[in-house]
Amino acid sequence: MKISYNWLKELVPTQLNIDEFCEKLTMFGLEVEEVVQPGKKLENIVIGKVVSVEKHPNADKLSLCKVDVGGDESLSIICGAPNVVKDILVPVAMIGAKLGDFEIKKAKLRGVESFGMICSEKELGVSDDHSGIMIIKQDFEPGTPFADAMGINDNIIEVEVTPNRPDLLGMIGVAREVAVMLNTEYEHPEIAFEESEVQTKDEISVIIEDAEKCPRYCARMVKGITVQHSPEWMQRKLVASGLRPINNIVDVTNYVLLEYGQPLHAFDYTKIKDKTIVVRTAKDKEKMMLLDDTELKLHSNNLLIADTEHPLALAGIMGGLDSSINDNTKDVVIECAYFDPRNIRASALEYGLQTDSSNRFERGMDPNGLIEVIDRAAQLIQLTGGGEISSGVVDCYPHKIEPKILTLRVSRANSILNAKMSVDEVKNYLNNFEFSTKKTSEDTFEVTIPTLRPDIEREIDIIEELARCYGYNNVESHFWINRIDNKQKRTVVRLTKNHLISLGFFEVNNMSFASPDDLDVLKIPENDFRRKVVEFANPMGEQFSIMRSTLIPDLLKNADLNLSYKFENFKLFELNRIYLKEREDTFAEPTYLTGVIVGKFDPFYWKEEQRATSFYDVKGIVESVFSKIHCSKNITYKVSNQPYYEEDSAADIFLDEKKIGSCGIMKDDVLKSFEIEALVLLFDIDLSNIIPLYNEKAIRFTEIVKYPPVLRDIAVIAPSDIEVGEIEQEIKSVDPNIIKDVQLFDVYTGKQIKQGCRSLAFNITFQSETSTLTDKYVDKLFDNIVNKLSLEHQIELRQE
Amino acid sequence: MKEQIQEILEEARRSIPSCESDKDLEELRIKYLGKKSSLSDLLSKIGTVPKEERPQMGALLNKTKKEIAQLIEQKKLKLHEKADASRALGLDVTMPGRPLPVGAKHPLYQIWEEIEDIFINLGFEVAEGPEIESEYYNFDALNTPSWHPARNPQDTFYLKGGKLLRTQTSPMQIRVMEKFKPPIKIISTGRCYRVDKMDPSHLPVFHQVEALLVDEGITMSDMKGELDSFIKRIFSADTRSRFRPHFFPFTEPSAEIDILCINCKGEGCKLCKNSGWLEMGGAGMVDPAVLEEVGYDPEKYTGYAFGLGIERIAMLRYGISDIRKLVTNDLRILKQFQ
Repeated sequence: MKISYNWLKELVPTQLNIDEFCEKLTMFGLEVEEVVQPGKKLENIVIGKVVSVEKHPNADKLSLCKVDVGGDESLSIICGAPNVVKDILVPVAMIGAKLGDFEIKKAKLRGVESFGMICSEKELGVSDDHSGIMIIKQDFEPGTPFADAMGINDNIIEVEVTPNRPDLLGMIGVAREVAVMLNTEYEHPEIAFEESEVQTKDEISVIIEDAEKCPRYCARMVKGITVQHSPEWMQRKLVASGLRPINNIVDVTNYVLLEYGQPLHAFDYTKIKDKTIVVRTAKDKEKMMLLDDTELKLHSNNLLIADTEHPLALAGIMGGLDSSINDNTKDVVIECAYFDPRNIRASALEYGLQTDSSNRFERGMDPNGLIEVIDRAAQLIQLTGGGEISSGVVDCYPHKIEPKILTLRVSRANSILNAKMSVDEVKNYLNNFEFSTKKTSEDTFEVTIPTLRPDIEREIDIIEELARCYGYNNVESHFWINRIDNKQKRTVVRLTKNHLISLGFFEVNNMSFASPDDLDVLKIPENDFRRKVVEFANPMGEQFSIMRSTLIPDLLKNADLNLSYKFENFKLFELNRIYLKEREDTFAEPTYLTGVIVGKFDPFYWKEEQRATSFYDVKGIVESVFSKIHCSKNITYKVSNQPYYEEDSAADIFLDEKKIGSCGIMKDDVLKSFEIEALVLLFDIDLSNIIPLYNEKAIRFTEIVKYPPVLRDIAVIAPSDIEVGEIEQEIKSVDPNIIKDVQLFDVYTGKQIKQGCRSLAFNITFQSETSTLTDKYVDKLFDNIVNKLSLEHQIELRQE
Repeated sequence: MKEQIQEILEEARRSIPSCESDKDLEELRIKYLGKKSSLSDLLSKIGTVPKEERPQMGALLNKTKKEIAQLIEQKKLKLHEKADASRALGLDVTMPGRPLPVGAKHPLYQIWEEIEDIFINLGFEVAEGPEIESEYYNFDALNTPSWHPARNPQDTFYLKGGKLLRTQTSPMQIRVMEKFKPPIKIISTGRCYRVDKMDPSHLPVFHQVEALLVDEGITMSDMKGELDSFIKRIFSADTRSRFRPHFFPFTEPSAEIDILCINCKGEGCKLCKNSGWLEMGGAGMVDPAVLEEVGYDPEKYTGYAFGLGIERIAMLRYGISDIRKLVTNDLRILKQFQ
């Protein structure tokens, strides 16, 4: 629903600026969807006074006007409208103003310059009138902004009214809600008029045949009116709320609809046969012609407003064509009724007629608010069209609908909201909502719910209203989660374990105890951190005299055991803590991931010969773990000199500059100490430093590059002491933005290759994020790579 | 010479693709690329070519050799594909596919994860703590009297320097409560240690899960309800639990938890030693002295704690009768848990 902030302020005084107001309204439950400032569109449009009008020298239909717009000099403006004359006030769009997409610029019309445009009402969006320029009747200083003069400097607030709140479909309902929100008062319009001596009941009678579908029907008469334009203030409010002015009678019904939310209908009195309105259901196959020229074929569930012979309107949805107001209408019957929401919904749905009227009736209007509404309509019809208001309302209301009375326990409300509202506070909130209260005990109220609030049916519904007053954001939050949880570690541990398992590893579980001999067997030097062991004061024997400071010995014992059970090729890992003594009584318990690959890496396959395992198998495992837990970028490898690896067969692993582990082929004599004769590859990684780096929230989507990659191979002869990793880096460094990937795909040493060198072949991916790469450009980069490798590293392109 | 080379190449291009068997192909290879082939012959005669044409001719020879080698290689692959395809005609679907490895988590850790997940779903947070603890956290703060036998070196591992290995995960409760205000709703999990000779039902190293909930208005009903919903999830929906009065220094009232024997459902069997019930762990309402120790007002807050052995749960779930099976790391056992 659209709310004019200016109009609202007439009903509820508030000093809040529009942003503050909207924020409050949203937090109170009336969600603001959009705020539109119609005045914004009218910038650079001002009131001008036409000082002189002359004929255009070169065109009959154009006039050359001088217009005073408040500046030192009058503007020369060419105008084509027939109604432009001297001394009138007109809206002037000055240079720079925008009318829709059309920007006003200095223009030359038939050889004469024009510095602006005098506008019609249609051009300004005020009405549909384009017969001539708009003439402003009130008095304004030339130069006054048009939006100010017209009162269009408003904020139109579009709010989402939830379907349970039909009372908020009118300005007064909104004002009532805002008054509660601001803890203030709001005003009803003042309704006062004189009634003629003619009694309404002598002019018109109402018969309700189906009181279930129409519980109440009120009618009033205004005689001797003139159908004409409605006054400007009314038109302005209609436009602001998104309605189009038509004539004073239709405009009044629409205006009252905007005010009260209650739909009205006006009939031409002379069209009502026998001065009798009959509210009845349609006969089967009865026909009627609607206002919009469509003919309906009705049936017995449709409720009609009829006279003694013909239908006048499809109740609550749309009027009939025959009885509608026309320019010659003199006497008007105003209808104000309460219809059963279910019936309206069914009929509206059936005929696809979702009108302003049906939308409101099907949510449930206030059956007890009709008299105020019909009086308001009579008052406004008289005000805008003259005539005489007949005396009294014909009010057909067979069974009065009584307000609901509910019991509210203050303690219950407080316990649901975890609030401490006092009894008085609660009473005040309820009374602001116009719920009357009777205190029935220290803790309870009897609350009378006005019929305008069909949504309040139970105690809990009242408590919801109290919650809104109390403020959802003032409810204390009582939280459990996200203070202690070790989710990061749990995630890394589980990812790692699941990954290794799908690579064929079995997890083992060894106890935390160890013997100092284990460290000797691994040849771990005296100054190694793993020698800082945690010792028992009361060990369970020499075999268990320390806490283990490495997981390696246990895994080798597990390997030995399983080899003895005739398993030849298998992979084991353990992910557990090790224990280190830092100082006399401070200890560290870092989490380690240690694994062994025993025998052949690939499972046996009848179709192929089983491949020999190499260092690169264990390195591949390690690399895949790191990429699974998102830290590959920080990892580097250097040749290891751990004493339990074969020479030149192992790497130390670094996280940035810190050594966090190693992997490689285990030394034969170390394995012999564990009675192992098979080939064993080992990895041993401290996860403690990696876990804190894991951040699943750091994963961000990057747009797929829409330009195709270019692939090129390069084969080089490089001295064997230059590491492949270094060459890859060197290649990338030529243009890191374009060279996306460098992949080694062939290594060869042999007769054809110079002694001390090896042949390396790489696949290079070039890709730009901003354009398609040309062959020429890639050729250039390729040459740069070749030059760089040869000049700086004596790496030569391999000749075919 | 150029024409001769060209001729050989043309011939090779015709004959190689039409070859039908590995044997024929091998013959062709010898014919074109062998030591006595016409190409080798031409190569040896390269000296007869005018000097300035020699490099060009050499390159052409090499190129031709390469192409023929390629043709032969391609043909070889094709012949083998055919062999595979013809074998496929007599496809034996019972022969093993290319084996991809499948490992397994250790059964104990599988159960541990399952337990964690159940509690996480019940709204608990998971806390971990050090295994090397002080006497204060393991005993004093948990209201353990100085005469309590658990403090003896016959029961608890002491380290050189005075610290000890935690005998339960409860010290973590103290650490969490010291740091955070209620409400507290955590489980602490991990390794615990007691001086026990290894036998079918004891290991010196074992794992525990312990739940702790402290807030206003927590009652013994909450404890029974939460424990029961855990038991039903980890075993089965018809598993019931009961509480027997017991003594723990840090809870009051304290109880031991039994569950209806999952094997005989209370009828009596070997597993439950004919009692119909299985002992599962300890529980109780947090002792006010413990709450006071961490600075909570015991009049305002109440709480419960219960602790369960993870090995015990794993053994019951998998039907393992000897706890030592959980640390042998024998692949014949581990492979059962793929």
